[in-house]
This record gives sequence, C-alpha cells and structure tokens, in this order.
Amino acid sequence: MKKIVVAIVISTITLMSCNSGNNKDSETIKTDHISAHTNGSVSPFTSNVNGILHIYIHIKNAFVNDDGKAAADAGNEMVKVLDNFDENVLRDDDRKQFEDIADDMKENAEHIGTNANNIKHQREHFDMLSKDMYDLVKKFTAGQPIYVDYCPMYNNNKGAIWLSETKEIKNPYLGKDMDTCGSAKEELK
Amino acid sequence: MSRIKKTLLVALIVFIAIQFVRPARNESGQPSPADISKIYPVPANVHAILKTSCYDCHSNNTNYPWYSNIQPVGWWLASHIKEGKAELNFSEFGQYSIRRQRSKLFAIAKSIEDGTMPLRSYTLVHSNSRLTAHEKASLINWANQAKDSLSLKN
Repeated sequence: MKKIVVAIVISTITLMSCNSGNNKDSETIKTDHISAHTNGSVSPFTSNVNGILHIYIHIKNAFVNDDGKAAADAGNEMVKVLDNFDENVLRDDDRKQFEDIADDMKENAEHIGTNANNIKHQREHFDMLSKDMYDLVKKFTAGQPIYVDYCPMYNNNKGAIWLSETKEIKNPYLGKDMDTCGSAKEELK
Repeated sequence: MSRIKKTLLVALIVFIAIQFVRPARNESGQPSPADISKIYPVPANVHAILKTSCYDCHSNNTNYPWYSNIQPVGWWLASHIKEGKAELNFSEFGQYSIRRQRSKLFAIAKSIEDGTMPLRSYTLVHSNSRLTAHEKASLINWANQAKDSLSLKN
C-alpha cells in the first residue's frame, strides 16, 4: 500500500513538472491589442469566450506569417484555456452545445499544438477550428465585432472560412505570397 | 560461468517471464450499435478498404498477426491500438457528436490525401493494407460525401 502511494505521489509530481515546462512559451502571448475594442460591461462568460477568440486570432496571425511554431504555442494555450473553461453558468441545452463545440476545438487545437513542423496539417485543423470558432461566436457572442472572411481556393477549391479582427484581408491558408486573397463574407457583432 | 553467459541467461529468463504478461486483446466479437456502417451507408468496396487498412487500430476488432503473441511486440501493438482508437474509433463513431463526426470525416479524407494514414510502419508489415490510387480516391470520396450529408442535416 505504502509503495502505491509513493508511486502515485511521484508520478503526479512528474506530470505536473512536465506540464509547467510545456506551457511556458505560450504564456507570453499578448492579448491586449484586441481587448482594447471590447467594452467593459460584458458578462464573465462572454469575456471567457472573448479570451478564446484572442488565442484563435493569434493562431490565425501565425498562419498568415507561415509560422507553425507560433501557431503551435497558441494552439497549446487554447487547449489549456478550454480545459479550465467554466461552462457551468450555462443552462443545460446551451451547455451541451458549448461542450460540443469546445470538444472539437480542443481536439483541433491539440493537433495544431503538436505539429509545429507540419504547417500543412496544422492548417487542415485550422480550417475546422475556424468553423468551430464561428459557431461559438455566432451562438454565444464574443463581445466584440469580428469579420468572417472566405478563401475560395483552399482545400482543392472547396474553400474555407476564417475569423479576423481586421477588415483588411490577411489570408491564413495560402501562405505569405497569397495573403491578400479572399473576401469578407459576414460581420459578427 | 563467464560474464557473457550469465548476462545471456538473465536476458533469456526475462524474455520468458515477460511472455506471461499479455495485454488484453482488442476483440469485441460482436457488432457495435454505434458502428459507422449503422449511421451512413458504407459501400462494400469502401468497407473492404476500411477493414484491411484501418480497422486494426481504429475499431474494436483487431485482426492480430501471429507475432502479436510474442512480447514485447504485443505490448507495442496494444499501445498503438489504444492510441489509434482514442483518435478515431469506427466501431463507436455514432457516439461522437455530429460536429465531431464531421471533423473526423474531414480528417480521414485529409490524412488519406496527405498519405499520413495508414502509417508507414503499418503498411511496411501489412503489405495488403497499402492503398492504391483508386482505393484512396474511393475512400476520400466516401468520407467527403458522408461529411456533406451531415452538413445538410444541420
């Protein structure tokens, strides 16, 4: 019995130290430039959704710059935030919808987080993550206006959307050379 | 006894000992009610591809090769299967949320397109699991169609 307890304690400590090592990088992400637009009177839940949106924007901007490493850091940060998200303020059916979206987001963010050297694979998950983010903001609002842009060429001309904090088109799917390709489709408020 | 002989003897004893530590087999034997074929039509040719190239790691029924009975090979396979099923399990596909199903189908099409699945280490040993261009196209086409049928439902 004693041995088991010791083993559990040791493995817990090991796990905890592993985690803190991983997350150091992503904690340096700055989010202040977007929060300037939000007004002060939003609910805690909305501001939490807004926090997820901030991280999403970081991932998006990393892809605009072809920076898989930065995207991975922000992806890991998103996983961490989603893990600690408090959705209990929501009513049952809302919570169910939130959890559906959040589970999928987490999985996509994990793939982005663990594939820093495979930006093609990261972008495939960013495509899905963007749809999730859209649904999340559409359903729950993020407390700030956000643009929904469309890239018709990505994924063999099947097209993909992304969310942007700026009106100017900066395409995260096709790489730096084609970053002005695409058009605004919708504005979420 | 020389040192080398002793070491070899110890290695042999360890090897024999680990043969008795057998991982649980991934064989449910019965069809699952949440199986993907219960949710979407899976044409026979696609089902055959899924069975030979995907189900060993992505379903509740692995078709074990003889060497899986030798440890530590069996352990290694068991950990692979566990990982594969956590990522995608065709036998329990119906238990995923619609959103997750859609994402999974998208990811299936993409990983076949990119050639990341089936894993090279797997096709190396299971040469019949290697996909021809035609098989790839059928699988991608099916996954995309299934995904689109879901998008319409929502």
